[in-house]
Amino acid sequence: MEGNFGDENQDHCDVLKQWLQSSSVSVELSKKGFHREVITTVELKSDVLSDVRVLLVHRWPRGVYVDPYQLASLSDQRDWKILLDSTIDLELPAHKASGFVTYVYPSHIGPTPRSLKVTIPVHGRYHEPSFVGETFTSVDIEAPELLLWTVQCTQLNTLQPHAVVDAPCTVSNSSTCQWVKIQHQQEFSPLRFQFPVGDASLVAPVCGGTLLVTMMCCAALSRYMWKHRII
Amino acid sequence: MSSQSSAAGRIHGLLLKLHELLSDEDSRGAALKCHDIIGDLGQECMLTPTENELGLLIVSSFFSLASHSSLLFGKQGESPYNRSTYRYTPLLAWLLTPNIYLNMVFGKILFIVCDVLSGLLIYRILCLRGLSSETARRFSSLWLLNPLPMGVSSRGNAESILAALVLGTLLCMEARRPTGAAVLYGLSVHMKIYPITYALPIALTLRTPETRAEEDRKSWKLKRLLTFIGSFLNRELLLFASVAGGVFCALTALFYYIYGWQFLHETYLYHLTRRDIRHNFSPYFYMLYLTADSRWSQSLGLAAFLPQLTLLLIASWAFHRDLAFSCFLHTAIFVSFNKVCTSQYFLWYLCLLPLVIPHLSLSVKQGLGLLLLWFAGQGIWLGPAYFLEFEGYNSFLLIWLAGLLFLVINCFILIQIITHYKQTPQRLKAE
Repeated sequence: MEGNFGDENQDHCDVLKQWLQSSSVSVELSKKGFHREVITTVELKSDVLSDVRVLLVHRWPRGVYVDPYQLASLSDQRDWKILLDSTIDLELPAHKASGFVTYVYPSHIGPTPRSLKVTIPVHGRYHEPSFVGETFTSVDIEAPELLLWTVQCTQLNTLQPHAVVDAPCTVSNSSTCQWVKIQHQQEFSPLRFQFPVGDASLVAPVCGGTLLVTMMCCAALSRYMWKHRII
Repeated sequence: MSSQSSAAGRIHGLLLKLHELLSDEDSRGAALKCHDIIGDLGQECMLTPTENELGLLIVSSFFSLASHSSLLFGKQGESPYNRSTYRYTPLLAWLLTPNIYLNMVFGKILFIVCDVLSGLLIYRILCLRGLSSETARRFSSLWLLNPLPMGVSSRGNAESILAALVLGTLLCMEARRPTGAAVLYGLSVHMKIYPITYALPIALTLRTPETRAEEDRKSWKLKRLLTFIGSFLNRELLLFASVAGGVFCALTALFYYIYGWQFLHETYLYHLTRRDIRHNFSPYFYMLYLTADSRWSQSLGLAAFLPQLTLLLIASWAFHRDLAFSCFLHTAIFVSFNKVCTSQYFLWYLCLLPLVIPHLSLSVKQGLGLLLLWFAGQGIWLGPAYFLEFEGYNSFLLIWLAGLLFLVINCFILIQIITHYKQTPQRLKAE
């Protein structure tokens, strides 16, 4: 009896290994300016095991942020749910903020679909002005990690070279499970956002000009207010 | 004696039930049952025999209710400040809780009601300032039929509540009721900080005016200074200051008790030290962005504050005899010279503009020209701002120059208004 059970487990793990080898992830960036979108497409090529759970992990740098309220209002129209690992301050400039991690759980009913498309709206933070005359700053986006989990395969160390990682089981973050991370064969081209930055070499003329205009306006208004005062 | 103690016992029982309900998981059902219990509580307080006990019971019930309501909203660490950009008074969050329990649109309906109320207040103030009913109605329609406040309130922005409070304060001052004005003033300062600038013209209005003969007699400077300071110490002004200060302090103490330091920081201190470096209409935006982390940041912040302060002092002294005009100028100057300026700030002085327009000797053509100039100034700023935010062009310099131009346009418009302002209402000059 135990031997049979062990064999079943081995079968499930073999099938999971097939999934791991045949799945692929591709990422593209869209939109311009400070409000962008990261579109991740996952292809799952296997028709045997149907209760495999999928998890997309994005590790974001400090130069961007996601708006949790925007995500919450969009969640009705999307077939995935997102979990953030920390609270996000929407207004911090980039050099004072820190990176964060998002976990995307497809919320399908029934068997896992063959392909998933996840569009995450991200926003650029303001960066420190540049002292060397650069007009744009670059923010590099790491490729996402695709994690798989199935309750039926428990011998995860047989699935080398795919690593085993800990991650929340579901979007409610009530427990942690052991997931298998897919080792990508293909090389990912670096994904890069470009955001405009201020020109710090102009700080003297900008300050001088601003203070001059504001003082002149202040003087003019004062003069007219005093001249037309109501006694 | 026994009836009093039994009444106290009944009230105690009701309060215990309320406390239990507020710890209930089902907040929607709990809210409805709370409503009934609060009704019973009110009845008990009314039916209690002796006056002393009635007073005590009402006061203790109120504080009990406030602290228990804090449980309702403080349940499981829920506070309006858990939302990271909530920077307003908890009173606003409390006012909007029917949004959750009744209907989603309650908040927007509340703002729209305040808008209409503001229009009515404008009408009453204009009538008190000497306009005929027909003319007053025409000018209050400048606010009631204005698409800008309509759009802003129906999108869910709470500025109209503040407009109603400020206009209510002005109406009470015009009607010579300083106590009512003081209560509304304290409430409006609690909701947003900027009405604090009205304190000086209100003080100058309420102080004892000097008679002409007294002024001529005094030649000794020190004596004149002392008399000037002494004129502030009259009954009406002290009453106003104590009532307004009392309302403000009571609200602050209540919310500090409920929400702690976070309330003080988010509602007040954040706004005073706010350094939002993202692009906005303010002429100081680019200067503050470039110097955000340098050692000049503090002194530049101060340099930006001085013109604002100077102009507010001069505006108070020059126009304190006409309180509505003074408040309009105060707000317009405050917004134009502020370190951060977004379009919702414009509503703060637009609600006072219908009070000023009847006194302007500008023709309709000139008035419309100034209005178009104001919109043109905003449009010139919005162009490069759009390209920066949504197309990714580096248009910082253009935004900076557009911000300066907008300041110049605002000053020009204000100078035109000041130059053409007459104390007696002018009739509209038809073309």
